[in-house]
Amino acid sequence: MRIRANICLLLAGALVVAGCQGSAGTGPEENQVGPPQRGGALTVLLDSAFSGSWPSGLDPATNTTGGGNLTQMLAIYGGLFRLVADDNGKNARVVPHQASGFEFADGGRTVRIKLKPGITFTDGTPFDAEAVAFNIKRDMESTCTCRPTWQLAAADPITTEGTDTVVLKFAQPSAAVITSFVVSNVNWVASPTALRQMGPDAFRIKPVGAGPFKVVSNQLSSELVLERNANYFVKDRPYLDKLTIRSIGGDQPAYQALLAGQGNVYEGMTTIPLLEQAKANNRLVVTQQPATSPYVIQLNTKIPPFNNKRAREAIYYATNVEAIRQGLFKGAYPASQSFTADGGLFHHATVPNYRTYDLQKAKDIVAELGGLSVDLGTLKTYVADQVNTALQTQWEAAGIKTTIHSEQLNGLVQNFVGGKWQAMLQTAGAWDPAAGVGVAFRFGTMSPFSGISDPTVDGLLQQAAETPDAAKRDQFYVQLGQRISDEAYAPFILAFAPYSVVTKNVHGPGLTTPIPPVVVNTAILWDEAWISK
Amino acid sequence: MAITEAATPSVLMTDEGPPVPSRAWLRRLRIAAPAVLIVLIFVACFVLPLVAPIAKPTGGDILNSLQPAFTPGHLLGTDDNGNDILARILYGGRTSLIVALTVNLLGLVIGGGLGALAAQAGGIVDGVIMRLFDVLIAIPSLALIVAVSLSLGPGLRNTILTLAFFSVPAFARISRAEALRLREQPFMVAAKLSGTSTGRILVRHLAPNIGPALMTFAMLGMGIVMVIEGALSFLGLGIRPPAPSWGNMIFQGQLSLSGTPMLVVWPSVMLFLTVVGFNQFGEALRARWSGP
Amino acid sequence: MSRSSPVPRVVPAVLGSPALRLAGWRLLTAVPILLGVSILMFILLNLIPGSAAVQLLGPEATPQQIAQLEEEMGLNRPPVVRYVDWLSHAVRGDLGRSLVSRQPIADVLPARLAVTGELVGLAFVISLVVAIPLALLAARRPNRLLDRVSMVVSTAGLSVANYVLALLLVLLFAVKLSWFPAIGYVPLSESVSGNLHAMALPAFAMAFPLLCFYTRFLRSDLVDQMQGQDYVMTARAKGLGPWQVLLRHAFRNSSFGLITIVGLNISGLIGATVIIESIFSLPGIGQYLLQGILTRDYIVVQAIVLVFAIITVLANLMADVLYAVLDPRIRYGNH
Repeated sequence: MRIRANICLLLAGALVVAGCQGSAGTGPEENQVGPPQRGGALTVLLDSAFSGSWPSGLDPATNTTGGGNLTQMLAIYGGLFRLVADDNGKNARVVPHQASGFEFADGGRTVRIKLKPGITFTDGTPFDAEAVAFNIKRDMESTCTCRPTWQLAAADPITTEGTDTVVLKFAQPSAAVITSFVVSNVNWVASPTALRQMGPDAFRIKPVGAGPFKVVSNQLSSELVLERNANYFVKDRPYLDKLTIRSIGGDQPAYQALLAGQGNVYEGMTTIPLLEQAKANNRLVVTQQPATSPYVIQLNTKIPPFNNKRAREAIYYATNVEAIRQGLFKGAYPASQSFTADGGLFHHATVPNYRTYDLQKAKDIVAELGGLSVDLGTLKTYVADQVNTALQTQWEAAGIKTTIHSEQLNGLVQNFVGGKWQAMLQTAGAWDPAAGVGVAFRFGTMSPFSGISDPTVDGLLQQAAETPDAAKRDQFYVQLGQRISDEAYAPFILAFAPYSVVTKNVHGPGLTTPIPPVVVNTAILWDEAWISK
Repeated sequence: MAITEAATPSVLMTDEGPPVPSRAWLRRLRIAAPAVLIVLIFVACFVLPLVAPIAKPTGGDILNSLQPAFTPGHLLGTDDNGNDILARILYGGRTSLIVALTVNLLGLVIGGGLGALAAQAGGIVDGVIMRLFDVLIAIPSLALIVAVSLSLGPGLRNTILTLAFFSVPAFARISRAEALRLREQPFMVAAKLSGTSTGRILVRHLAPNIGPALMTFAMLGMGIVMVIEGALSFLGLGIRPPAPSWGNMIFQGQLSLSGTPMLVVWPSVMLFLTVVGFNQFGEALRARWSGP
Repeated sequence: MSRSSPVPRVVPAVLGSPALRLAGWRLLTAVPILLGVSILMFILLNLIPGSAAVQLLGPEATPQQIAQLEEEMGLNRPPVVRYVDWLSHAVRGDLGRSLVSRQPIADVLPARLAVTGELVGLAFVISLVVAIPLALLAARRPNRLLDRVSMVVSTAGLSVANYVLALLLVLLFAVKLSWFPAIGYVPLSESVSGNLHAMALPAFAMAFPLLCFYTRFLRSDLVDQMQGQDYVMTARAKGLGPWQVLLRHAFRNSSFGLITIVGLNISGLIGATVIIESIFSLPGIGQYLLQGILTRDYIVVQAIVLVFAIITVLANLMADVLYAVLDPRIRYGNH
């Protein structure tokens, strides 16, 4: 019985491949370009409004913007697991990287993670089970909300067996444990020795990890200079000698810097006219990552006007997703009717009986309601602002009085916490819906950032999160999408699929071959990146 | 009335070139031409949308985005949201002009007045007023702008208030410097000696003399304020899109300058014409006042 | 007689030269100004909703977590208490640690200040070096070709947003011509020529609007002087050539206005540096300040504002001393 359960769970890793000695170089590194070359320096430009901002330092336990700083963290720490895909971006799967494998036990309540032997941090100390357990414990205890939403068991949840196995015990079985690694900070293991010696305040400025690169200098939110880790655990990797990460003020200056030769990589270009220029320019290579996180208009069903289902329906009918897709983004991003997208798991393109654009119906409902006025907010980014502007126009055409505003993080949180918000444009979902800033965050009753209070939704969320069987999870998510649609809780718009723009001589997974972003931005495999002379 | 000791023929002072017979006509043209330009701009922005079939500046059809100039119905094309650019230029002009005028007016009157008063009164009054302004000036503009904007919020009125924080101290300092310079002039000393009150000195003697310098400053300030208002957009403050202003149109356009240069060119051209108009007008006025 | 003087009679004459007395007096008044600046800034920061705790917790922070962290960090103490706490450290030279990054500000500030300082310094130098001769030449022959052309160009320059100019400069000189780098900073310690090479475009982008402004203002003032003032007629009657009048008298008087404006610009420029720093990816203080405000890291903001206030006060002090040096009448204040 027990063995059967274990085998079931192992098979459930249809999502996850448990390699025994999984080689780091999963997926071929090059296409027709020739073998990767050793050496060279790469400059990565990041938008200062998002990933190019790391004000709280680079310690996994305290880096609030860790999800946006994937490039920095992965280069320094590598990762216990990583998300890889085939060259065409399909068949994405989580594979062990600094881990060598894992196995579930106890009906899914216990997971044993085995580590690869012989890995050391860049300060020479061993990357062993004790170090990993120390880190995970530290992450779970820190104030930062960047840790995974694990329900750990009450007694001894994090222990080690020998020097190469870490044992995690959960209160409930969790289907997405391994996926949650690549979405949160427990994936990045810091050197406990360095932490003790430097103290956490100094460590977050000059962190020590076991990744492909080590820190030379770090000016927060301006420039991070990294050099090759000669003792990296994968032989002959990384290819690059030096990696410099620079913060820059937006797509236009980044584009110019790439053309002028002061940058090699720009992650996350969103301005469509510039993308078209870049695509037409034969000195640059533009790669679109698969889409995983759709934009959703959260409606606050706890207060007027959206405590009234008819008002919510009016929003569905007044929203012309196709026009936004084509008019604003020239078809670059796919539409979504649920919290999944075609680059992620459990994707279904349509939801039965989804209320699509129908201006007349929207007008009729507004008339029936005697008028409708909405305050629509979002986090300040180029794409979100554009979508909000378009939504305002569309809703006004249906007679819905709309005011729009966009906030920085502090303002946004204030909005939510105050409880008076009416509609918010946010992203929902991830490569695995149960991991990360997931669906529970936006739709669960207990979340302060959700506009919904629905036990059916909660039930579905919980079951999906706990069921290891992929087919069953799929069903739960289908039902969840159906429920959200039927109750008109939140219309979905399009799934954001970020672009990487690199100069012609740069190659690598996540750079020139697509990898689905786990949440918003793609985790580039920096040890596989190379530059041709 | 400008008070100078002697009305000196300018031939003595500078090399203006051979005297032209129609000098008076030229001088009139020098005032009239920019004045006409300014009036045209104002009429275009404030009156034209009321009488001509100009589209609305917001609420465009996004399927119609980024159309080039001379597309039917859109003389200057459309922007990335499908809004008619000509309409946005005109309505945006209203906003930009109102902001610039109000901010400079506030500066001129409040700042200029206080600065001249400080210079004339001297002593404690001078000390207190100028130290208060020194505090404002000493705060880095960025910190002040962002802090004030974040607490007040966006919008036209708050943008004006935020920018006034800068124009008032600036005018005060200029005004005081000019007034100080003039204080020791014979005619000023004479006025003082004959017992003229401070108020009268301010209005009858100081104002006409520092007026020209302040006017020059104000005219220069028109353009500067309009551009700074656009820079506020860079920080996410100022006039919130989709409501247009020349400043935030330029900012939105430069986000993809290589891809959509015309979005920057049109409002820049309008801004340039307006700034030229105001500056030339200011120059011509000053020449008129300080000349014979 | 003038009723007042900038120098109170209280100050003993023993202190020596009037310029020194002026400087001393202004330094004394600097202290309340700096206090005023820090208090005003603190009040403004407290009016903005939100706190550093939100930044530290992240987008998933619940109200309870925020409240708890604020308590741990002492952010929920009354503003007066927090201000006095900060002030008591600041006067001893301890600027504190960033709330968000935990870095001692004294570690971060010098390097960033050097970058921005160099940028601003170069911008001033370039703008004055070009503006003063240009204005003098233009005022020498008003309404002739040079005057008209320079006026039109400077007007155009004033109506161009500095970020647009910066981007255009990069497009032309970095992308098309490859004469200068598009982004990046090279520390002086690494290479002086590399540093200047990298700073050329950003400094010019900052200098250009200043240059236009100074040229216009100075030219107008000079022409004003040359046409209107009685001393000019006197000088010419004495046989002085136009250039001598221009340089020794008109320019000397016009420099009052110029000095005032330059002094005003110093703290104003930090707004412009944010944009330039972000376009050229320079690790300067503008970005640091902006981030500080957005993350509600009031320790960082107070520290930077204080440093800048000190710089501005010093700059304005020098301006006032220059006034006194240039115009003896002001030095003495009364006859």
